[in-house]
Amino acid sequence: MNLKKKLRILLGSLAVFVLGIALAGCSTAKTATTAKNKVIHITYWHVNAQTQGGTAVNALVKEFNKTHKNIKVTAKYNPNMYQGLMQNLQSAQASGKVPDIVQVGWSYTNYFADNFKYLTPQQASKDFDGNDNFIKNNFSTRTLSFAKNSQGKLVGLPYSLSTPILYVNKTMLDKYQIKTSELATWQGVATAARKIKQQSGNYGLYIQQPADTWAQQALMLSNGAQIEKNGKAAFASRKGIAAYQLYQNLIKENVAINTPWAQGIDDFVNGKVAMAFTTVAQASHIKQSVNFTAISVEAPHFKNEKTVVPVGGSMLAITAQKTAQQKAAWVFEKYMYQNSSLLTWSKGTGYLPPTKEAFNSAQFKTYLKANPMLKPAAKLIDKAVAWTSFPKNGLQAEQTMIDARDKILSGSNVASTLKKAQETINEQQ
Amino acid sequence: MSNSKNKLIPFLCLLPAALILSIFVIIPIGYSFYLSFFNWNLIAPTKNFVGLQNYYSLFTDPINRKVMVNTIFYVILLVILNFLFPYLISLIVKYFIKKMQGAYKIIFFIPSLFSLVVGAMVFSWVLNPVSGPMAFILRKLGMTLPNWTNSGVLAVVVLCLITSWKVFGYNFILLLTGLGSIPQNIIDAAKVDSIPRWRLIWNIILPLNKGVSIYVLILTIVQGLAYVFTPINVITQGGPYYGSSNILYHTYLDAFVLYKTGNASALAIVTFVIFLFLLFLEVRFVERKEASYE
Repeated sequence: MNLKKKLRILLGSLAVFVLGIALAGCSTAKTATTAKNKVIHITYWHVNAQTQGGTAVNALVKEFNKTHKNIKVTAKYNPNMYQGLMQNLQSAQASGKVPDIVQVGWSYTNYFADNFKYLTPQQASKDFDGNDNFIKNNFSTRTLSFAKNSQGKLVGLPYSLSTPILYVNKTMLDKYQIKTSELATWQGVATAARKIKQQSGNYGLYIQQPADTWAQQALMLSNGAQIEKNGKAAFASRKGIAAYQLYQNLIKENVAINTPWAQGIDDFVNGKVAMAFTTVAQASHIKQSVNFTAISVEAPHFKNEKTVVPVGGSMLAITAQKTAQQKAAWVFEKYMYQNSSLLTWSKGTGYLPPTKEAFNSAQFKTYLKANPMLKPAAKLIDKAVAWTSFPKNGLQAEQTMIDARDKILSGSNVASTLKKAQETINEQQ
Repeated sequence: MSNSKNKLIPFLCLLPAALILSIFVIIPIGYSFYLSFFNWNLIAPTKNFVGLQNYYSLFTDPINRKVMVNTIFYVILLVILNFLFPYLISLIVKYFIKKMQGAYKIIFFIPSLFSLVVGAMVFSWVLNPVSGPMAFILRKLGMTLPNWTNSGVLAVVVLCLITSWKVFGYNFILLLTGLGSIPQNIIDAAKVDSIPRWRLIWNIILPLNKGVSIYVLILTIVQGLAYVFTPINVITQGGPYYGSSNILYHTYLDAFVLYKTGNASALAIVTFVIFLFLLFLEVRFVERKEASYE
């Protein structure tokens, strides 16, 4: 009886033990399932308002969230373009709650790299893919060079690419028998602009004047000048001065108009200016707004020189700090570089696709055919160089160049103004 | 015991307001003052102490000097457009026009309800010197609209006009209300004595309305400089070559475009001192007058 009782206790204990193990197993299995199904939330900061590609961003994010059950991306629009995003990022860093993936404008490359924590694309590729094939296979060396900081380190992956192009009021040019082939050089553009002014009274040319000197840098570069040499400003060269001199002469003669960006574009779409040198990203707006035949031609160069333009747009950089979020951000980033995603992006914004495959895809070629105004930019992207980002005090350097532009367009001596601006920048390097 | 409790109650009642004031006003001002002695880009881990260098450059840097001169020009224009002009109109409406006073109030006040961003964009389009509707009308009349965005002085005038569109109605109503509070018996007595109308205004009405008018004057300067920030940001970004910038916009440019927080803080502190002086005037002329009535 005693033995029977002992056996019952032993069996009972064994049953409890087995049940315990089984339950523990179930619990572990359940935990594992939960971990597997855990949704990682990441935030994507962009600068695209609804009228500037915001719809494309939302569509892309929606599709990603639909197809990736374990990652949920929340897109956040930051007003006031890259500058606004950078300001918000600073506040976020101060509060310790940074987004996971952000758009960074080219002119902020060094500032961003020097002041924020980020995961380089190579590191992300190595950590999460085990190799860097994604970067190697999708981006050309030239395209990647746009996203490098002054130490040559890749900060993010190029996302939005643009170049300046020359928009032409073809109706007006035809009326005064000016051929677009005459607009290949800046000297040709100047002659055409003078002819327009003399014969119609309208302005011949507008070169964009936002809070950067992107277009003016293109003007100097296309005369063989350099903006930066070995980390120092070098634009006040003979060729740089000559390029600006041509620009100033046209303003002084009242042939070109000196006005803020929005008004300059308005003047072009209202048929009061024959040619506008501005970003390809304006193509959609110009196409929709004009009531004359508008075309675009490649950015001109000076005689005996070749066209060189700085690239515009932005890169995507991973700012997530935790591994899970970094991995999710990398997955999202790769999705954004798929051909279909990039095509949605290009259609929504007018930017050119940054990957070789998307750029050469049949869909993009069809899209270009339907939107010929983008063609000169697409042709020029191979000749584009990185937007100059000075190693130190880059934002002040850009402001110094804006100041020099404003002074020159107000009539200051070109050579002395550029030299002074160059000295000011170099003192800060 | 109950006496000490009674003494505590006012402090406890003031505590919420004091807390809010400290967090949002006093601490930021103190921190700005601290930052004005450093060179710092807003997020770098280290701040470089530069002593009074930022204050020194404020008065020696030609751009800062230009911005200071612009600010004085802005103040003069804002006072004319947003204080003297509405004052004149309110006097006319109050003492020279008997009918439709309510209608004038509504009509003048309507623009105050609109966003200045919208106003700036609309004015930028209307006053576009090449392709705007105003340029078109003037061309039809054989005139041309000057390219105001190229000239600092003209840009300041246009930016002040845009601000005036927004502020005029509010200031007009304040001044009209002030005029309405002047005892009618004094005015009637003056009329019985056959005092000329201009002397009635100059010697009786304006002195009696001094409190409200000084309040509106200070509001015009302080609020006007803040309001004009929006059209500057939307239309000229301070250009051409800082020609339309003022002390508030330049502070913003230094702090949030160039991330030179030291310079920006020094500018902010100087602005604070100027506004403090205006506050002192307000207390001296407005609050003291009210206290003397009691």
